[in-house]
Amino acid sequence: MKYTFHVSPNLQSKNSTQQIMRDLTIGLLVVFVASVIYYSTAFGINVGLQAVILLACSLVTTFVCEAVFAKLKKKSVKDVITHSFGWVTSIILVMMCPMNITPYAIIIATFFAIAVGRLMFGGFGYNIFNPAAVGRAVIFASFSGATTRLVTSATPTGILAGSFKWLPMTEVALESYLDRVGGFGSLFLGTTPGAIGETFSILILLVGVFLVLRGVIDWRIPTFYLGTIFVITCALALLTGVQPYHGIPGWIWYPVLHLITGGVIFGGVFMLTDPVTAPTSPAGRIFFAICAAAITVLIRLKGNLPEGCLYSILIMNCFTPMIESALDGPQLEIKKKAWFMIACSAVLALCVSFYASSTMKGVKGPVKKTAQVVEVVPCVEEVL
Amino acid sequence: MSLLLGPMCQHIPGKKGLTDHSDVKRLMPAKEVYIPLFAGNNSEVELLVNEGDHVYIGTRLANTKSAFPVPLYSSVSGIYKGTVKRPHNSLKPQLHMVIELDEDQEAVQAFEPIDWENASHEDLVEFVKNTGIIGQGGAGFPTYVKYQKVENIDTLIINAVECEPYITADYKCVMDYPEQFVHGVRILKKLAQVDRVLIGVKKTHPDLINLVRDEIKRENLVGIEVVAVPDVYPMGGERTLIRQLVKREYKRLPGECGVIVNNANTAILVARAAEMGQAQAKKYVTFSGEGLKYPTNVLVPIGMSVAEIIEQIGGTIEDVQSLKLISGGPMMGRTMVSDQIVIDRAMNAITILKDEEEPAMTCLRCGRCTSHCPMGLQPVRIANAVKMNDAAEMEKRGAMNCIECGLCTYVCPSHIQVTENVRKAKRTLMMKANKK
Repeated sequence: MKYTFHVSPNLQSKNSTQQIMRDLTIGLLVVFVASVIYYSTAFGINVGLQAVILLACSLVTTFVCEAVFAKLKKKSVKDVITHSFGWVTSIILVMMCPMNITPYAIIIATFFAIAVGRLMFGGFGYNIFNPAAVGRAVIFASFSGATTRLVTSATPTGILAGSFKWLPMTEVALESYLDRVGGFGSLFLGTTPGAIGETFSILILLVGVFLVLRGVIDWRIPTFYLGTIFVITCALALLTGVQPYHGIPGWIWYPVLHLITGGVIFGGVFMLTDPVTAPTSPAGRIFFAICAAAITVLIRLKGNLPEGCLYSILIMNCFTPMIESALDGPQLEIKKKAWFMIACSAVLALCVSFYASSTMKGVKGPVKKTAQVVEVVPCVEEVL
Repeated sequence: MSLLLGPMCQHIPGKKGLTDHSDVKRLMPAKEVYIPLFAGNNSEVELLVNEGDHVYIGTRLANTKSAFPVPLYSSVSGIYKGTVKRPHNSLKPQLHMVIELDEDQEAVQAFEPIDWENASHEDLVEFVKNTGIIGQGGAGFPTYVKYQKVENIDTLIINAVECEPYITADYKCVMDYPEQFVHGVRILKKLAQVDRVLIGVKKTHPDLINLVRDEIKRENLVGIEVVAVPDVYPMGGERTLIRQLVKREYKRLPGECGVIVNNANTAILVARAAEMGQAQAKKYVTFSGEGLKYPTNVLVPIGMSVAEIIEQIGGTIEDVQSLKLISGGPMMGRTMVSDQIVIDRAMNAITILKDEEEPAMTCLRCGRCTSHCPMGLQPVRIANAVKMNDAAEMEKRGAMNCIECGLCTYVCPSHIQVTENVRKAKRTLMMKANKK
């Protein structure tokens, strides 16, 4: 018998990257299907179909880009496509876009996401920025007019950002907001217009739990991201004196409103957790998530954009290499340093609350729909 | 699991069922044994017998003259035929003493037994030194060295975990000799001068736990306790076991945090030496893996050739081009390209696996290697430093602390040989240190 040489260990687990990506794809598709069902029932079957068409356009673009890349690099097309998992980027990108977007905009966005966001860096595993976020930023910057008029009702994020400046202070103000979006229930369930995949808060969280249990994503990132957003907005509510709503104190309902409106749950579960663009060490991931949360809330409250999740992800992505090298070394020995960094990020996050509370004026009275001008902005407003 | 650290271990399917229920096979070589004259690099050996001499089981054959001298005793009786170079599990050919077996297999007392209950610490250490017992956990560190300075030691840990998949030799050995095992533990307890002894056993071996507990009860012993530990890898590693049992960390050696760790099998050897004057002659070795037709535990004399044992237990599977022959378990054992290696004193398993490998993919930076590393290293970052050929970064990232347990490669979903990357970093750093 011939005995071959092999470096130890000679045993490997059954885990594989393919399995991780398969689980992630399943998770994303569950949310996507929920979205198609909701849009079909609420706005008609053609709106639901539009989502499928957008996804198809994006997937085809991805495969074409990767096939060309494979030819240029003289590699097998099949290997490149199956080993770079471009479809995950495609699905996330489509789910971040509102239904009104035109197919040509999604094609160009996908091209930027795949070709510029990923392949130019060397393909899967080498990209610095989350490719789907790159694609979404391109649409936001260049194609805000490229919309159809399929769904014309304003989104909860748009209303909250536009009419209420993200800070409804009183019970009346909140009441008038909830009246227009269908109450907390529909915000939780996701039966409101918005980006295709981002509104289904509870469903995304359930998928997130599934992905954590399957070892696909690290629980630390969504927990600390959403937790920090909760804490920052909670402090803001306390500092500005947000009033209770039907007996629920302001420091509870206001943070919850922040979490279930907009794309933070989607971003926290599906995008910030992208392992390629997040730090690898547990300590680094916590730091990363807390900082991203601070930036998200800062953009929401003080920025011109209605939503901050997308840019917080892109900004933190460029800090990933720095976080990594700051936390290099045996983890047991650098524990102190890691705690110090995390404490700093927590202070930074609280600074956002203080800054916002000292400069913001909340909306105290009800805001009627007719009084609205802001909501007529192009429908690509709800940037994740 | 803590906030800033991952689990630092991982359950690995043990495949112990292949060998733990069948009886141990007692085998003898047909003609010769080859006793390796090797005790660490640059060790010189002084032979005590001449060619043609008749030796017995227990005859002192040689002394090694390394930093920690260890005598060698014969494992069989027969005629000493001189030395020969053979493949060895240090990967380089080494000198082996050839002994042709006779029919009687007569034994002599290797040394005088010792009244260990009344012996002084110095006498006992000197006695163990004279027995030539080396640690049976795999590293083969001479046992007496650990007990030379015991002032700061407060806990003795007996490692009966056997966390490597496939291996059941320690389990079998303790199951067969619970009384000698407990006596050995008592001797080691006296050597360590401690009041507390913890015996770590995997909780998936309740039969072993109960057997040892009964034995302890029967002898009315205080201060010796059997602790069930989770079935995770590398629970049998010193660091992980100490972390689990006494919640302490140390830099280089367990002695720094007041703990001595010894293998269960070592305890049995110590008891046999002290009570019967026997040197280590035979060894329980697990022959397991999918590459063997009939995986089993064997009891063989030291120096028996692996090829001969494989033949006697029924051979390897035949419908394959090649196999992997591993000296040790699949995680930490090294592959051997020749089956002419022999059973050495610290070897407890031969694992033969099918020669298959998943192709590696690009690292997706999932961080599993970082969260599972029992040393708390960041293998992915060390691998990056290797790619950049940046020795300063390799050092800063703690590559030298790696114990090469192989868990990072095991958990890697991209099937990258992560451990080998860290080994490369270690080699680079060692070469740099040698140049200075």
